[in-house]
Amino acid sequence: MPVIEVEHLHKRYGDKVAVDDVSFTVEQGEIFGVLGRNGAGKTTTVECVQGLRRADRGTVRVLGLDPVRDRTEVRQRVGAQLQESQLPDKLRVREALDLYRSFYRNRADIDELLTDLGLAEQRNTAFHKLSGGQKQRLSVALALVGRPEIAVLDELTTGLDPKGRRDTWDLVERIRDRGVTVVLVTHFMAEAERLCDRLALIDAGRVVAIDTPSGLMSRVDAEHRVHFRPLDEFDDAVLSVLPEVGSVRRDGDEVTVTGPEEVLQAVLSTLAEQKIRYSGLRVEQPTLDDAFVSLTGHPGTPSDGRSS
Amino acid sequence: MNALSKLVAVEAKLFLREPVSLFFVFALPLGLMLVFGLPQRGADPGAATGQHGEQTFLPSIALSLTIGMLALFTLPMALGIYRERKVLRRLATTPVSPALLLIAQVVVNLVMGVAGAVVTALGVRLLLDQPAPANVAGFVVAFLLGVACLFAIGLLIAALAPSARSAQSIGPTLFFPLLFLAGAWLPRDQMPTVLARIGEYSPLGATVDTISAAWAGQNPAVPQLLVLAGTAVVGCLLAARLFRWE
Repeated sequence: MPVIEVEHLHKRYGDKVAVDDVSFTVEQGEIFGVLGRNGAGKTTTVECVQGLRRADRGTVRVLGLDPVRDRTEVRQRVGAQLQESQLPDKLRVREALDLYRSFYRNRADIDELLTDLGLAEQRNTAFHKLSGGQKQRLSVALALVGRPEIAVLDELTTGLDPKGRRDTWDLVERIRDRGVTVVLVTHFMAEAERLCDRLALIDAGRVVAIDTPSGLMSRVDAEHRVHFRPLDEFDDAVLSVLPEVGSVRRDGDEVTVTGPEEVLQAVLSTLAEQKIRYSGLRVEQPTLDDAFVSLTGHPGTPSDGRSS
Repeated sequence: MNALSKLVAVEAKLFLREPVSLFFVFALPLGLMLVFGLPQRGADPGAATGQHGEQTFLPSIALSLTIGMLALFTLPMALGIYRERKVLRRLATTPVSPALLLIAQVVVNLVMGVAGAVVTALGVRLLLDQPAPANVAGFVVAFLLGVACLFAIGLLIAALAPSARSAQSIGPTLFFPLLFLAGAWLPRDQMPTVLARIGEYSPLGATVDTISAAWAGQNPAVPQLLVLAGTAVVGCLLAARLFRWE
């Protein structure tokens, strides 16, 4: 049963169209990604889902409710983490959780939440003394303190270092394992690829594709690349004649062979047949980045991008 | 505990953790009174005349200073920061309305203003050996209307200022002319008539005069009270209308 249904959502600010035509459904218990470049309309879309903005056209149903008309009920059951939202400098972690907890009908156990999110030692730390990752985790904790059925997480890992980002990904999976449906807004391909069960690719206010990450990648016939360093001399022709091989290139002592998914198998068996020894074997598979470029016709997004 | 009382408790804690606001509310008015009041202590009350010669001028201006600082500095600053840091927007995603945070802020600043007033009044009584407010009812009315009027102006600044930083500069830019009109430097009896008249009905001028009158045991002037009330209502309505949540 879908917990979120968005149909033909349209929203403009003045004469600037932020969301042109967006439709998708989110099933209970999944991690659903809303992926797109900065300014593609992702945040506006989820703001309409949260009832923070009223759609100009189209319908939005959350848990069967209208997020604008039934706003209080929807907000009881949907937790939100906003892009770049902060807390007062001198508010302490536990105080913040205790305050936000008082807003909800179903209240999570604060100590349990602090332990789950790795903030137990920071319980009495003031907000401005937290690290970027800790602030982000607190923000997630605040989104969960009302035991929501759905958690909307907007640009969760922007500004985090790679370690913090990875920790946060584990966290999102744990949230889902608690039975919470997660809507993850992101412009990081790697994040969507790693976390999302399904995702909607949004570009210029429209849905370009909705699929699983691997489904999206298989729509693209981007090339696989096999790199290795041969230890024995050999003629490139033994590889380039193979039907699976697109191209063979040498760069110093490294050979790069490109082709479709089957290229790896073909290269490896040929090298074995010809008794060519090698080291440093690497395989590059097409990523969501490639799918993104191919589906939208734009180059990928900068990995250090800011708000959308 | 319900959301509003929780918010008030948290905002009060945050206020008390800010040394600058504590200084404005408790130390500055008392300090000013001692600096200007102690030398006059025991002086012949009849020696000085005019606005500054009145015995109740100094404590009244000190009190008005407290209210003014809270209303024009700390309140718009805090609200500006909350908007800028998306605290208000964050609150909008919860079942609680962000308006509650505004109410909590006003309540906390009001309570601090009253606390500051009590400290100042006690200081006057104990350190300067001057009488406590004589017309208590009139004093309370004048104080509350002064608070309402100045807080409304503070809320209007919070509503109009594009950023916390600009709220921080609009407050003082408005505060010092208002202090001047109240007669803080040049006694109003030495001002040109028109200016003195404006000063009499300016927010701080009317606050100082009505508090001062009640302190001395007289009835505060009704037209001045009405102007304070009117400014409060208009300011609040405009602020509510113009307030931006994000």
